[in-house]
Amino acid sequence: MSSRPIIPEVQTNGTTLFLKDMVDGFKMHEVWLSFAWDETLSRYHRSVLGVLWIILGYAVFVLGVSFFFGSFARMGVGPFTIYVALGYATFLFLIANVIDGCVVFSGSSSWIKSSTLPYSVYVYKSLFRALFPFAMQMTIAAAAIIYWQVPITMSILLVIPALILFVLNGVAIQYLVGLLAARFRDISHLVNTVSRILIFTTPILWVREERTGLTGLVADFNPLTHYIEIFRAPLMGAPTRPLSWCVVLGLTVVVWVLAALAATRMRQRLPFWV
Amino acid sequence: MFQLAADNISLVFPLYGRPSHAESVIDKAKSGANPRLIHGPNGDLIGVKALTNVNFALNGGHRLGIVGANGSGKTTLLQVLAGIYTPDSGRLHIKGRRSNLINIGLGMRAEASGRRNIVLGGLAAGHSRADIIDRQQDIEAFSELGEFLSMPVSTYSSGMRMRLSFAIATAFDPEILILDEWLSAGDENFKRKAAKRMKYFVETAGILVLASHNASLLRKNCDLGLWLHEGEVADFGEIDNVLEAYVEHSLRK
Repeated sequence: MSSRPIIPEVQTNGTTLFLKDMVDGFKMHEVWLSFAWDETLSRYHRSVLGVLWIILGYAVFVLGVSFFFGSFARMGVGPFTIYVALGYATFLFLIANVIDGCVVFSGSSSWIKSSTLPYSVYVYKSLFRALFPFAMQMTIAAAAIIYWQVPITMSILLVIPALILFVLNGVAIQYLVGLLAARFRDISHLVNTVSRILIFTTPILWVREERTGLTGLVADFNPLTHYIEIFRAPLMGAPTRPLSWCVVLGLTVVVWVLAALAATRMRQRLPFWV
Repeated sequence: MFQLAADNISLVFPLYGRPSHAESVIDKAKSGANPRLIHGPNGDLIGVKALTNVNFALNGGHRLGIVGANGSGKTTLLQVLAGIYTPDSGRLHIKGRRSNLINIGLGMRAEASGRRNIVLGGLAAGHSRADIIDRQQDIEAFSELGEFLSMPVSTYSSGMRMRLSFAIATAFDPEILILDEWLSAGDENFKRKAAKRMKYFVETAGILVLASHNASLLRKNCDLGLWLHEGEVADFGEIDNVLEAYVEHSLRK
């Protein structure tokens, strides 16, 4: 045991503490990876197929949608199947960040009240837990891409910044929503209500470019449209609109600023709320 | 030299929409205004003064026993000392690595096995995997859980959980150990083992803070006492003197 320097508990609150929490939590990756993995496994505990259910369930969904709605899409059944396989998984991942975000802290209340782990550990855990099914579902999308032989171009590299932006947004959104929902319990009900509508108003089961008039316009006011398009379009060999990149980049900044503001004001009170 | 000092710590425990307005007005009329309760402008209960101007200082080798009636703020004080709650005002001076055991069974993953919880608990306390593997044997042996270690913690009794929690919390040479009523669930054999381990720990100049209602346990394990009364320090000093004053006060009621 070595002697340690004096560490006075500095009771400053502020953005510095929020960023410190983010960095300290990130460094404990073994903790949140283990937690996320344990939770994922326990969800499929004692089932024979286990986590394979994620892939199987998604394959059934995608094939079902493509069978029933494929003939409505002008792009043809093959591309439409890929479109759904990419878009729906992305939608689920993005919305999971908001829905899981509501319980990211309140669901870990016993840990928050008994340990001094950085709060961001729960956020990273939750994000990783949402990334896992997303990755599994992507195998179905990859299979569809290979099966229908989508031409691969250099623009496919754009999925890398898109994924980085997803993760950056996921962290900030979960932190923000987690704090708000811990304090204001109505938020999680609101989020559930809204997400049910978003399934229809987001272009995942229908193609935005094929719609003229109001629906196409409404889609552009839905941020999810742009988040999904920056990831889906490059993988379908289609160009991404600069508008979508601008919206996503802009919202990323907004979400981080809001998360930092909320954390500055609310973080210290969190153990009383959960 | 390790150090743990509270410098004028106060904390209001906020309440959110719990008691109805009507109820709290009736209660107030019945029993008179409780000075610890804080009412909002419209008479609603909005908070409880959990701790008011708490002061004390401990150095390496000190073993502090905290006594007080139910609701006097013992657990809240421990949570502040452990760094879980941030006080509204005042400062904590801390030198040393803290380990706490405030709520048995909290901070365990119920669905994971006991063995897995040892690893997770160690990681969560900031220890490296190699360090944990080093201590794993010791933790398993101390907990005496045997084959139960491969079963999920959700199947454990509260006494078994306590054994495991205590074994994990004390295995990594904590420098400041904060414990709340943990012995109540242990059998005599385990209490003896735990007392022995704490004695060794304090001899290596660690600081122990222990809240309990059990006077003989406190006499055995502590040299200093702190009596909390309605969130304020009523007495602080030699454990025997503090216990005497506290018992006398309780009997007079």
